[in-house]
Order: sequence, then structure tokens, then C-alpha cells
Amino acid sequence: MVDHIVKSYDKELDALERRIAEMGGIAEKMVVDAMDALSGCNAALAQQVVASDPRLDALQRDIEEQAVLTIARRQPMAVDLREIVGAIRIAGDLERVGDLAKNIAKRAIKLGVESRVPRPILGLRHMNEVAAEMMKDVLDAYSQRNVALARAVWERDVELDALEDSVFRDLLTHMMEDPRNISFCAHLLFCSKNIERIGDHATNVAETVVYLVTGENLPNERPRGAAGAAV
Amino acid sequence: MNATPETQQNPAPKITVRDLKFFYGDSMALKGVTLPLHANKATSFIGPSGCGKSTLLRVFNRMYELYPHQRAEGEVMFDGLNILDPGQDVNLLRSRIGMVFQKPTPFPMSIYENIAFGIRLYERIPKSEMDGRVEKALRGAALWDEVSGKLNASGLSLSGGQQQRLCIARTVAIRPEVILLDEPCSALDPISTAKIEELIDELTDEYTIAIVTHSMQQAARVSQYTAFMYLGDLVEFGETNRVFTSPGDKRTQDYITGRFG
Repeated sequence: MVDHIVKSYDKELDALERRIAEMGGIAEKMVVDAMDALSGCNAALAQQVVASDPRLDALQRDIEEQAVLTIARRQPMAVDLREIVGAIRIAGDLERVGDLAKNIAKRAIKLGVESRVPRPILGLRHMNEVAAEMMKDVLDAYSQRNVALARAVWERDVELDALEDSVFRDLLTHMMEDPRNISFCAHLLFCSKNIERIGDHATNVAETVVYLVTGENLPNERPRGAAGAAV
Repeated sequence: MNATPETQQNPAPKITVRDLKFFYGDSMALKGVTLPLHANKATSFIGPSGCGKSTLLRVFNRMYELYPHQRAEGEVMFDGLNILDPGQDVNLLRSRIGMVFQKPTPFPMSIYENIAFGIRLYERIPKSEMDGRVEKALRGAALWDEVSGKLNASGLSLSGGQQQRLCIARTVAIRPEVILLDEPCSALDPISTAKIEELIDELTDEYTIAIVTHSMQQAARVSQYTAFMYLGDLVEFGETNRVFTSPGDKRTQDYITGRFG
């Protein structure tokens, strides 16, 4: 894209983009680490995840403030306006992703050694890998302004929903088999919901990337799998 | 030109420009412009200096005829008549298509006479009716409350913003169908500008508006349709909401985002 006549305008937009990239890096790492902490019973790593969250919150506030200032200063139009509105929206999604990862980390701390790594943990790990990949891809799509990649992420949400459904059934079975599993499995149930929500936020970011680049909105209805049991 | 699908239902255009070419001597200032002016809508013309937007505006009421060596080719249909037709009664045309200029141009006479003068050119009406017409015009231009007590004061005694609204009142007084505004706010402060913009909004109830402006924000605020012109070409025409959020042509995008190289 050609530079603005006013160079400081470009600097402001670049600064916004850099902060989004930083948020994305932090959020993505939190998602990966939270699951590692959960499956590896690693309380120290879980604490690290929890400790990363304030930085994410601060960045989001910063992005919002900068975006508001830029709007006031420049009255952005067209692609610039979409960039700025996109940055606000993406920052909001990434902040929520951080919260969800933090929630998983907190449960990892609570479960501690109680974790007996039954099969559902494997399912959760798999879900988390998909969610983390979606996060990575959608952040790449943002930095490259890559609509095709964003669309691929958007479509992948179905996969995550299906996995959540199967984890849900798995956990239910374990709870029915032995009531002593219930507390543990209930925590995992929340974790799976969190991961599914992370996928939703990645999908939101994908929608924003498409809007930002093309000015068009993706259809209202997100792709939905057959999964309906988990709500 | 970039034809893009429009989402809202368009009423029949008030004016339809077809393949309009305009020449200043040998140099071509408009290179075949085609677009509609929709009835009871405001259409903004934006583009860098020299793009032809003011030229286009001056074609709508044949203002260019005041100068030698200027000519227009093509078709500008206005209620079934071609404005460019040599047989067209220019005085009548200008009473139906009024114009307001960049700098306020009040006549050196009283506020009342500034309005009445134009009406008398076209109609003979009794004083009492004239009073009513003057008041209506001043109200129509959102100026009445500020000048009702001093109608005999000179039009030149008003502030710039008031003078501009006086000019709009003068235009409105002769009951035109189309109002052309050529950068009407460029010499005004933000408050006066806001009043004119509010006025433009109200005027679209009765009139069709064409406005040339250098302020993209103003175009975005006041108009329903926007035309972007560049070097005598109409680059893009469409609904204002779309043109300013998601323009179809790269040149439009570069211009409205301040990237013009």
C-alpha cells in the first residue's frame, strides 16, 4: 500500500499493528502453555500463564486508546478506518482468549497432582492443538492480510466444535463410570468449553481480517458442525 | 468508471449526465462523464484540484457560457430537456437550477433586498406576498431568527457564515429544483459550517443538491451519493456510505485516505 502523505499517520497505524502482533504472540503462548500446564501437572507454568494476562489487558486498553486518538486526529476513511476498527475488535478478541487460557491455567493449578491423565486429557490436548493452530493461522492471516488463510480458519471452527462434542461424551462416560471422577472431569469440561470459545474468538478475528482487507462481511452464520450436545 | 451494485432503491434521477465532455479552448477538462443526480438527494463531488468537479457543476446551469472559448459536448438531461441544447432558455434554467459559490456573494443592499431582488427578476408579486416569500426563504436557510430584526441592514454587515446562508436563502427564494453548492463552507468556521450542513440536510426534502467539497468528511456527512473525479474522469460514483468505507477503485481509496502520490 502507498504511504500516507502525512507520515505520522502511517506511524500510528504501524504502532497499532505492532501492538496487535504483540498481543497475538502473548495470547497464543498462553493457550499453548495453559494446556501444557494442565496435562503436565506443571503449576509453575500455569502461574506463568496467569501472570501474562495483565500485560494482555494493558495492551488492549492501549490499543483502544490509540485507536480512539487516531480516529479523532485523522478522521480515517476506507481501508484506514477498517484497519482501526479491526484493531479494536481483534484486541478485544485476543484479550478474551487470554482470559480463557488463564481460566484453564487456574484449573491446572487447582487440579495439581490430582490429574490422572485419563483419555479425555488426550482429547483436550487435541482440541487445544487445533485451537492454537487456528490462533497462529489467524494471526498470520492478519499480518499478511491473507483472506484465504482467514477463511480457512473460519471454516475450521467446525472441526473444533466436533472435537468438543466427542470430549464431552468421553467425560460424561468417565463421570458415570466412577463418581470420584466427577470433580476432575467437571473441570476438564470447563476447559473444553474454554478451548471451544478460544476457537470462536479465532473465528471472530478471521471475520475481522476478511472485513479489513475486502470491506465485505462474511455471512452471519458461522460454520456449524453436527455437534449439538455440548452447549 | 467503476460500476458497483447499489443497495438502495434509486428514484428516477433528476438530472442524467451522459458522456459529457468539456473544453477550455483546446484542453479537455471533462473526458466523457456519465452519472445521475438523484432527486431529493445530495450528491458530493470530490477530487483533487483540477479534476473537473467545479467544471461539471458549472455545466449544470450553463454558467460556463459567460466565458468565451468554453464549450460542452454530450448530454445533460434535466426533466426531459437537454441542458446543453442551444435553444434552452438560460435564464429560466438558472431559476430552476440555483447556485451558491465558495465565497459568500451578497449584493451590496439590504438583507431584505438581497432576497427580493432575485424574486423580482422572475415574478411580479405584491409587497405583502413578497414579505412572506423573504421570510420563508430566510427561514429555509436557517437565518431568519438571526436577522428578523434587521432586515434593512446591509447584507454585507453579516458574518461570513450568515452571508453564505443569505446566499442560500437568495437561491431558495426563487424556488429552484436543484441547488448547486461549490465549496460552500470553505470560507466558514466550524459552527457556521455545521449550520450549513444541517441546512443541506433539510434542503434535500425539497431540492436536489449537488455539492463540490474539498472536505471528505463533509462529503461523508452531508451526501447520500458521492462522485470521485480525477483528471477529468469520473473514477467512481456510488452511495456515500460505501464509497467512504469500501471504495471500489484504488485511486478513490488513495485519495480519500490521504495517500495520493
